[in-house]
Formats: sequence, C-alpha cells, structure tokens
Amino acid sequence: MDSILTLIAHHGYWLIFLAVFLESVGFPVPAALAMIAGGAAGASGILNAPWVFALCLIAMLLGDFLVYFFGRHMGWLLLGFLCKVSANPETCILRSAESFYKRGKTTLVIAKFIPGLSTMAAPLAGSMKMRSSQFLLYDFSGAVLYTVAYAGLGYVFHNFLSVIVHGFQAAGHLVEYVVLLAVIGYIGYRIWVYWTHRIYRVVPRVQVEEVARRIKAEEIAQIILADVRSHGYYDAGAERILGSIRLEPNNLQPALALLPKDKDIYLYCT
Amino acid sequence: MLREQGFNAYVITGGLSAWRKAGGAVEQVPQDDIVLLPTFS
Repeated sequence: MDSILTLIAHHGYWLIFLAVFLESVGFPVPAALAMIAGGAAGASGILNAPWVFALCLIAMLLGDFLVYFFGRHMGWLLLGFLCKVSANPETCILRSAESFYKRGKTTLVIAKFIPGLSTMAAPLAGSMKMRSSQFLLYDFSGAVLYTVAYAGLGYVFHNFLSVIVHGFQAAGHLVEYVVLLAVIGYIGYRIWVYWTHRIYRVVPRVQVEEVARRIKAEEIAQIILADVRSHGYYDAGAERILGSIRLEPNNLQPALALLPKDKDIYLYCT
Repeated sequence: MLREQGFNAYVITGGLSAWRKAGGAVEQVPQDDIVLLPTFS
C-alpha cells in the first residue's frame, strides 16, 4: 500500500489525468476509481485538491472534445468503427443515433454515468453535428457533475483512504483479469468467425486492374459490382464504384432473388 | 453465402480504396440509397 501512496504522491496528477483522459477517449480504464483516490489524496494533503478537480475536468474535456472532433469530421465512420464489435453494425448505428436524438442533447450531462453511452455520447454528438459551443456547454456540465460525484466522494470520505487505495489496487488486478478475459474472448470469437465463415477463404479474389480491364473491354453487361460495406451510406456525398449496386451484408436473403446467376459478381468494401 | 447459393462471386482486393488508388471511376451514391440519420444541425 505504501508503494501506491508513494506512487500517488509522486505521479498522482499524471496518473489521474491519464486515467480520466483514456476513459474519455474510449479505453476501458477505471477513471472513477482514480478520481475517488485523487479526491481522497487531496483531502489528506497528499495532493492539492483544487488541482485534482481541475485536472479531472481538463482531461475529460480534452478527451471528449477529441472524439467529438473526430466524430464531426469523420461523419459516421467513427461510430461505424465503434459499432464494429456489435453483431449487427447497421442496427447499432441506427439505434444509437435514434436513441441519442430522442433523448436530446442533455443526455450528454448524464452520459458519463451510463456504461456504454459514456463512450458513444461524444462521437455521436460530433457525428450528429451538434454545435461545438453546445457540445462544450453540455459536456462541461456533465464533466463537472462526474468529477464532483467521484472526486467529491473521495474527498468527503478521505478517512477511508486506505480502504480506497486497497480498492484501487484490487481494481488494478480486476482490470488485468478483465483485459485477459476480453483478449481470450476476442480470440475465441475470431476463431469462431473463422470457423463458421471458412467457406469465404475459397471466394476468389481479383485485383482492381482485372475488373477495370473487363469494364474497358465492354464486358460491363456480364458483371455486377456490389458494395458490401458493413454499414450503409449516411453522409451526403458518399461515393462508390461507378455503376455498382448496394448489397446489405446483414440482410442478403431478399437481394439474392434479384441477382442473376449468369453474371460475375464483384464484391467490395472500403 | 453467395457462393453457396451458386453465384459467381469474387472479392475485389483492397476494395474501394484500391479502386480509387488505381484511378477507377467513382460516383456519388444516389440520394434514395442514403439513410439520413438524425442530426442536431
């Protein structure tokens, strides 16, 4: 425990800043525990309490604004990336956007307390083109609430610092186990995907030059170009290969009836 | 799945990015195909 206290005393500000920032940009880091420990350390005089509060706020706002900025400038790509782990990325994107829109902008104020939404809220706000000033206002309110709740908890109950530090230490081990389990789960999932979709390995691949050659040779009538990106087109100005059609990979069955079997179908994604 | 159903399906290596790099022609997605998600603007 002494080593942890020494660590907090020497590197506390950086550790808290890093934990809060990483959580804000989407990493599974126990920032709430870091803030509780920071608040308690502040009350015990190990760290400067106002500095701890300020650092938490700055780290959170920086992290949130970064993902908001990416969301705003990358359109729905960032959300598409975050939804990739979902079984159905299309549904994940549509539901997340609709749910956020229905609940309104004030969702940002409480989003940090809701697991899952805390990661999605800032990039969603960006993708949904919320104005920067509005985002900063609501996000700042949410960040203040979150910091006061957790750092304040540590500050008020600083007498339980040792218990909290033990908890922090245990949480560190817990995170290790969770990460290990997540890695094992992910490897298992990839093996399962590889096994169930092993037929895909026999799908022949062609180079773009071959497709271009066939188009130039006026064989366009014998081929179909199909865009099979895992999510749809959400941005006005989205582009695709000239003359291609859209095939929704999560809903292929209805499209199959319309596809001719005497043509070569060239599939592509991003 | 397409192969299983008897379609002559092929995968373009590198996808749209490789197509663009090779100087292939692209087009704007037709308005009807665009799903407009709600925005705050």
